Amino acid sequence: MTEKPNIFDRLAPALLVLGALLTTAAFILNFTSAPLVQGALLPDNGLAVIGGQVVTNKLLLSQKIFYFHMPVAVTSFVALLFTAVFGVLFLVKRNSHYDLMAKVATEVALVFILMTMVSGEMWERFEWGVWWTWEPRLTTYFILMLLVIGYFILRNAIDDAERRATYAAAFGIIAFIDAPISLMITRLVPSGAHPVIFRTDSGLSTPMLIPLLLAMFGFFCLAFALYRFRLRQQTLKARLDALKTNLED
Amino acid sequence: MDPILAEIYSTILPAAPYVIAAYALMWLVLLAYVLVIVTGQKRTEKQLAALEEALNAKHKQ
Repeated sequence: MTEKPNIFDRLAPALLVLGALLTTAAFILNFTSAPLVQGALLPDNGLAVIGGQVVTNKLLLSQKIFYFHMPVAVTSFVALLFTAVFGVLFLVKRNSHYDLMAKVATEVALVFILMTMVSGEMWERFEWGVWWTWEPRLTTYFILMLLVIGYFILRNAIDDAERRATYAAAFGIIAFIDAPISLMITRLVPSGAHPVIFRTDSGLSTPMLIPLLLAMFGFFCLAFALYRFRLRQQTLKARLDALKTNLED
Repeated sequence: MDPILAEIYSTILPAAPYVIAAYALMWLVLLAYVLVIVTGQKRTEKQLAALEEALNAKHKQ
């Protein structure tokens, strides 16, 4: 009944540990070596020298949320890319395993979308004093979250496995289209809340970039490990259900 | 405290609960998914054991 774990399944526990270590390191560096960013100018041209540097602005702690917020958002886009790729593979090859892989990738995407939303909400509530605003990135990302939730509603609404897989594959591909839109929207409609980070002059110094990149790779590792654990469990469940059906027949 | 320094650090303490909440909620969401995976795995293993038991009982008859 149980099949031999493949290379990805064998890698998953190591990636889980590596992910935990990288994100922990990112968390520590975030609050130790990464400097606080400067916010609004001090009134009456006030200035002070802190650690040998002239500070003319208020220092912002809320920006510390960004070091995990952005990596989890990027991870959600990557997970959705896998949803679309497996969806295409299912439509081409009609192999139900690709449907299962797409479903699990979408689950992981939803987890990271929720993480992005809750962290973004906390930043927004403090900085803007509101729980929600229709800013371009927020709006497109909110639509993405609704599409991903819709993907699971669609799956639950269809009983026939073949039809469910086909519709879900098509819906997954369509949902993914919103990911690059959400990613690129700040280049088309510039927003102060979501600056363009991946450019040659992002304004992030090395002590800021290191925790950001560590968190990014850490969350990639965690997402992949969780994906493999869940896929293995779901594959086993699917085989068990098929076996039960065969025995009942 | 120096009034200028007080102004520089004026947003640090009010922001702290939001920063803590952001990190706590992110880990909570991740932990919830880990729990979903673990409980799903346990349920599947239990079903597998029940099926094996039923098949063994059938063979003995």
